[in-house]
Amino acid sequence: MRNSFRIRAVGATLLAFALVASACGDDDGSGDVPADGPTITVGSTNFGEQLILGEIYAQVLESAGYPVERAFNLGARAVVNPALKSGEIDLLVEYTGTLLTFEGGTASTDSEETYNALVEALAASDLVAAAYAPAQDKNGIVVTADFASERGVSTTSGLTAFNGELVFGGPPECPNRDFCLIGLTGVYGIDFAEFKPLDVGGPLTVAALEGGEIDVALLFTSDGVIAAKGFVLLEDDKNLQPAENIVPVLRQELVDAYGQDLIDLLDSVSAEITTAELSELNKRFGLDAEDADVLAEEWLAANGF
Amino acid sequence: MEFLTDLGKWFLENWDGSGGYLNRTWEHIEVSGAALITAAVIAVPLGAWFGHTGRGGLAVVSVVNVGRALPSFGIVALALPITIRIANAVPFISSGLGFFPIFIALFALALPPIFTNTYAGVQGVDAEIVEAARGMGVTEGRLLRQIEIPMAAPVILTGIRLSAVAVVATAPLGALVAYGGLGRYIIDGFAIQDDIQIVAGALLVAALAMLTEITFSISERWVVPEPLRRGRGVPRLDRAVSQRVA
Repeated sequence: MRNSFRIRAVGATLLAFALVASACGDDDGSGDVPADGPTITVGSTNFGEQLILGEIYAQVLESAGYPVERAFNLGARAVVNPALKSGEIDLLVEYTGTLLTFEGGTASTDSEETYNALVEALAASDLVAAAYAPAQDKNGIVVTADFASERGVSTTSGLTAFNGELVFGGPPECPNRDFCLIGLTGVYGIDFAEFKPLDVGGPLTVAALEGGEIDVALLFTSDGVIAAKGFVLLEDDKNLQPAENIVPVLRQELVDAYGQDLIDLLDSVSAEITTAELSELNKRFGLDAEDADVLAEEWLAANGF
Repeated sequence: MEFLTDLGKWFLENWDGSGGYLNRTWEHIEVSGAALITAAVIAVPLGAWFGHTGRGGLAVVSVVNVGRALPSFGIVALALPITIRIANAVPFISSGLGFFPIFIALFALALPPIFTNTYAGVQGVDAEIVEAARGMGVTEGRLLRQIEIPMAAPVILTGIRLSAVAVVATAPLGALVAYGGLGRYIIDGFAIQDDIQIVAGALLVAALAMLTEITFSISERWVVPEPLRRGRGVPRLDRAVSQRVA
């Protein structure tokens, strides 16, 4: 506890510095030359993929001459979303379906439809969603290969045959989330014996599933760990999970300051991010313990940025 | 004001059931108590023995104090992969998550103050008293049990009290590895950004830590032999004698 608070305290301090920096940047921002505009503070939530994606956008902006600050690892959406709206951070990599639901809209499995609804929902908060990436990252219900073959389960609804027997592990906020425990219970009718609050699709959840501490885990579909560990991703046969395309969301005032050039740059990056590549990056981050900034740098170089 | 009302409402609504604070407090006490008792059972005899012989004590104190240098969060994280493996191999340990890893971290936290205080307390007993006892033919075992440990009791109990408070205040870490306890409210509250739940959890932990401090202070007074109660650590045999005479 003591330590995670310390990390947050450091994070908060950095955020404060970033704020001061961005406030200073505002004063002399003319908007014509990138370096003269307001500082772009790129935020991220608290899991590997977010750090990698945050780095990718931060680095591409930096190399194009924009003044960039990083405020990574801030916590769950409930923490970063208000930070974005209040201007403590300016740019955040989001997921279309979950963000739309968070903003009070209704997400569907259709990427385009969900994105359009999201753009509308965000306009009220002076936020802009740039074009979405082909890559998607949904909540994935995952079991071990042994479990899948022994119990003959390949779909999420197949879990109802074992109601009252299985232990489910996921992030602590899962019992309060529609696309997590609420949906699994309400839409699928699954009744778990127990829910174990672990981490957000991270090493703890993976270790717990691998070690047989839990039978079913919530991981992310773009997580390369699933394939690398031989886990089985159960089919979302009742379409609980909406479209979850990766989308950079930024504050309107940045678009006002930098114009379409900024959006075009972000869009050109997003267009190249596919689910397969994201899985590979996640695997190298999570299993091979490579650094997010190095992975982002390599990915950008490989994709011609 | 509204915050206080919400907080009050939280305490009225969340007391029962497995997620209620009565059960969470019990879980908190369960793992704290287990760690503290295990640490005391090991550290008191060991510390007393090293304090009695006076040999190699400093070396052992240094080794035991490593537990103080390692942050509990680090111990939990380091223990987890091992506890999961042990739970798979040993049939009577049902889970490597939750109780087991946080128990290890709290045990390591509780050990140093109890050991160090016992060692120092026993070693600090007046050499003249020890010599006098030896001169009267008291055996080493009786000397330790009936003279040195009772005289060191105030210092030993202070060590146990320090450990107990530290353990209760650190046990919330268990929530990070799926243990229950009062830390659940802080971790879960943070995950869903429920400030009321976070504050309620923090208040409960603080209250339990203070209650622990008070309980141990009172029982210290009750356990320590009467002649030693005032003027802590300084033996007052004259008063013991005068009381017996009276």
